[in-house]
Amino acid sequence: MRGRTGPSGRPCNASLTHRAAGSILASVPPADSDIVLRTVRLTKRYGRRIALADLDLEVRRGRVHGFLGPNGAGKTTCISLILGLIAPAGGHVEMLGLDTRTQLSQALRRTGAILEGPAFYPHLSARDNLRIWGALSGSAEDRRIDEVLALTGLQARGRDKVRGYSLGMTQRLGLASALLHDPELLILDEPTNGLDPAGMREFRGLIRELGAAGKTVFVSSHLLNEVEQMCDDVAIIKEGRLITQGPVAALVRRGDALELTTTDNERAQTVIRTLKGVGSVTREQDCLVVEASRERAAEISRALAEEQIYLWELKPRESSLEDFFLEVTSEGNARE
Amino acid sequence: MNSVLAAEILKVRKRWMPYVLLLVMIAGAAVLIWLIGYVGYQEDQQGEFAGDAFRTFAFPWSIAALLDSGQFWGAAIFVAILTSSTVSTEYNWGTVRQALIRGQPRWQFLAAKLLGTAIVCIVFLLIAFGVGILFSIIATSAEGKPITLDVPGGPSLSVVVLMVLRSAAGIIPYGLLAFALAVIGRSTALGIAGTLGYMLGEGIVVAILDSIGGIAADFREIAIGHHVASLAAANRIGSGDYNSIAARELPVSADLPDVWIASLVVCLYSVVFAAVAFFVFQRRDLRSSDR
Repeated sequence: MRGRTGPSGRPCNASLTHRAAGSILASVPPADSDIVLRTVRLTKRYGRRIALADLDLEVRRGRVHGFLGPNGAGKTTCISLILGLIAPAGGHVEMLGLDTRTQLSQALRRTGAILEGPAFYPHLSARDNLRIWGALSGSAEDRRIDEVLALTGLQARGRDKVRGYSLGMTQRLGLASALLHDPELLILDEPTNGLDPAGMREFRGLIRELGAAGKTVFVSSHLLNEVEQMCDDVAIIKEGRLITQGPVAALVRRGDALELTTTDNERAQTVIRTLKGVGSVTREQDCLVVEASRERAAEISRALAEEQIYLWELKPRESSLEDFFLEVTSEGNARE
Repeated sequence: MNSVLAAEILKVRKRWMPYVLLLVMIAGAAVLIWLIGYVGYQEDQQGEFAGDAFRTFAFPWSIAALLDSGQFWGAAIFVAILTSSTVSTEYNWGTVRQALIRGQPRWQFLAAKLLGTAIVCIVFLLIAFGVGILFSIIATSAEGKPITLDVPGGPSLSVVVLMVLRSAAGIIPYGLLAFALAVIGRSTALGIAGTLGYMLGEGIVVAILDSIGGIAADFREIAIGHHVASLAAANRIGSGDYNSIAARELPVSADLPDVWIASLVVCLYSVVFAAVAFFVFQRRDLRSSDR
């Protein structure tokens, strides 16, 4: 589902009812060997405050997995736990088949990560920074440094001191450092922060390319459009609790409702309600929203024509990840 | 580990701070040799302190003077500043988190930082010491004295090396104290102020307790400075007591602990400070707000 375009513009702004959160998990559970990253009842407390509660995440091999949540939902805490920067109050993490309680270093050596706002030595050039990170990962060859600088569009500025870099350039350098040792798994925390629209688009393209090349990417974001466009799967958390996870395609359903505008919406509403196989019919601003599949469109248009009500417009309504996200992150939907 | 260590040295040697500190230490050596030693001797060759002034600038006695005064006023402060800075800037820049997500174990990160900083400190301190000796050779020549180790009670080359090692041993606990404080507080200021405060404060406390007498006076037996003074006193060349301008209690050599006991105590403190730093760092949550 990569490369999907975002939701089309709609005259009406109300959201449709989605299936209950939690019921859209992939119907066939992936085999264990397919799971590259798994958190098992991962919990973190700061004093009395629960930052993360019993989080069970699964990221499958070769997929781009989005990690969505409102600001303060616990995304960065979760990523810090996964990367071993903070200690959990409960639960554990399995990464690349390794239990990070005992094999954290081994797992991290096969993982590339960008933390929220990547950090560098400001008095050193990008090249020197990459040499340092490469030394820690065991891959400080100049050839590889050239490759990742070229990949991230920083080749011309590689000898400049990082203190002169813009935020966007720093993000690019973050990605270069994450890719330096050719990791199997990429964990990216809000990687497009600070990028301009063109940079964000380019970055998304790069992530999709990495996914297509077989890398597994786990990327946190609060930008729904971004996740919808570049991710295969998504997990949504709120207030430290997992609300749902599964393929984006399953969340963004299409064609389960129709939007129509007629010469007489009031009468059309009455007529359509008499039809079999049609769910609710609601008026939203200057259109009607009919809960019905795309296949019912012909029948609806014929029934209306018979009553001398004519269509101005009839189209399937596409629900977006944004609709879904806003619905499941609204009050009272967190899975207990 | 070699590449990690090389990376650590790269980080430090490309900063301006070590070079500024080196210049300050060289300036300190110049003040010691030329102003306190040479000029002091020239102004009052028959005075009470003429002998001390001569032994401050003239080679080979200047070796002991440079090592002792340098140990307290130069080296320990240099090490405290550089060590605190290299640790806390990793927090300030957020690079500590970036390093650890590359699979480097925490102990290794800290060990590499300690070793890398130590190597830079050794190189820079030896340069400052070398420049001080050069000043001394010039001043000694200017006074028309021969440049030789062959004086009554003069040290052999191997003894000079031993003297340097003794001085180094006297710096290590202060460096590790600064290291531990910087790790605990994630702060350059705490590392520097805490170490300098301890160095100066200890001397004051020991003096006060000494004046009280009794058991209170025995506090000096556990003071770092008391044992470091023993190491410094062992560095004297020829007869007479040791010559020092360090701001710590300066008892006569006979009142100081045996140099081996002093080495052991200094070593014990060093191990404790390092252990505290490693223990704290190993267990610490490194949150994004720690940057």
